[in-house]
Amino acid sequence: MADLPVRYTRAEDLANRVPVTIVWEITLACDLACQHCGSRAGRRRRDELNRDEALDLVAQLADLGAREVGLIGGEAYLRKDWIEIVAAIRAAGMDCIIQTGGRNLNDERVARAAAAGLQGVGVSVDGLREVHDELRGVPGSFDLAIAAIRRVRAHGLVATVNTQINNLSLPQLREIMDLIIEAGATNWQLALTVAMGNAADRPELLLQPWRMLEVMPLLAELAGEGRERGLFLQLANNIGYFGPHESALRNLLDEEVYFEGCNAGDLLMGIEADGTIKGCPGLSRHYAGGNVRDRRLRDIWENAEPIAFNRRRTVEDLWGFCRTCDYAEVCMGGCTWTSHALFGRAGNNPMCHHRALEMDRQGLRERLVKVKDAPGHSFDHGEFALVVEPANARVPDRILVNG
Amino acid sequence: MAEPARIPPRLRLCRGCARFVHLDRPACLYCGADLDALEAAHQARRAAIRAAAEALRQAMSRPRT
Repeated sequence: MADLPVRYTRAEDLANRVPVTIVWEITLACDLACQHCGSRAGRRRRDELNRDEALDLVAQLADLGAREVGLIGGEAYLRKDWIEIVAAIRAAGMDCIIQTGGRNLNDERVARAAAAGLQGVGVSVDGLREVHDELRGVPGSFDLAIAAIRRVRAHGLVATVNTQINNLSLPQLREIMDLIIEAGATNWQLALTVAMGNAADRPELLLQPWRMLEVMPLLAELAGEGRERGLFLQLANNIGYFGPHESALRNLLDEEVYFEGCNAGDLLMGIEADGTIKGCPGLSRHYAGGNVRDRRLRDIWENAEPIAFNRRRTVEDLWGFCRTCDYAEVCMGGCTWTSHALFGRAGNNPMCHHRALEMDRQGLRERLVKVKDAPGHSFDHGEFALVVEPANARVPDRILVNG
Repeated sequence: MAEPARIPPRLRLCRGCARFVHLDRPACLYCGADLDALEAAHQARRAAIRAAAEALRQAMSRPRT
């Protein structure tokens, strides 16, 4: 197992609760205008960590045993000292990757990042040209993203593609896969678009829960094909759970791998550009454990209750279908981020294959209806209601507002 | 000292329908199969495949005459 990526969990990571994977938003500045951006990125935050604070944070991350730091934004490369941060992460013995829209990831930037030790770049591709450009809010961004993948490969870095699954991208997944294989990607990370930030304002993008009946078999099919063609599919923690494709989709070398619940605050840490520490980068400020300007990182990680929710949550805290689900003790309601963004409360996640199958078996399905707008700030959310209806109900697939 | 992470209960894979089920269940909740019997058959198949692969490896490593 020596060649597995460093993010794979060992028993001692659980025993010592090591933040194996760090996702660090180093700036909120962005050169795209994504319709589904959870952080509503665009302008840099007024109070982003300065160079010295950022470098000190790198040292604190290494001290906690972190093994992989993913730099995100906004757009990470728009921060002037991003190369210095990459170099510091590598010098401290941690892996370093960035996630990007790729619009201005030019040759010079990739070359400098590679020289600093950057190992991989995840480029977002959310559809074919027209859909991608619409979702990313900038005409031409699709071509620039594909060019970025090729550029990353040309510099010898690992090229990963991130794709959000929503009403626009779902019908195009197969063609996206062909395209990114051709461009040189070797990993494809897929996540459902979550009703947070800008996406909360565009409910028509979001999938209805019963679409998991279509999503999961398709992903299983693509995973098999992808593997034969050198592309490894990785599911984000908000895709699942426990249907007949669970083993095939989470299997790397061990077919008995399955979703073990949200790992935010246990093995995963999210950092906002102002130094706010959360268990997962997508979570709202409700889950902020503290700020590294006020407390040492170790103190926050070890003692802050707002990031301890996964250790405190019991089956009694679950609600709705998840409360009595056969997988409740293992799954604990799936992705905290998804559930909280929909209902303002964790512990009931309708975006679940097993749940959709069980509903379907009874001739039913669950439909999301938006009932409240988001206030309009980073990582905010609106509110949705769940309607149980016959599986063959004649209503539109898209999420309706107060419908 | 960090508090340990949450460690969820273990599940086992049904070799009949590929669903995960709780360790204490003798039969699969989804397809009704005898989990132990299917697991034993699966392990026997794996052992046979490993043995065949090893025999092939040895045959290929013998010098040609």
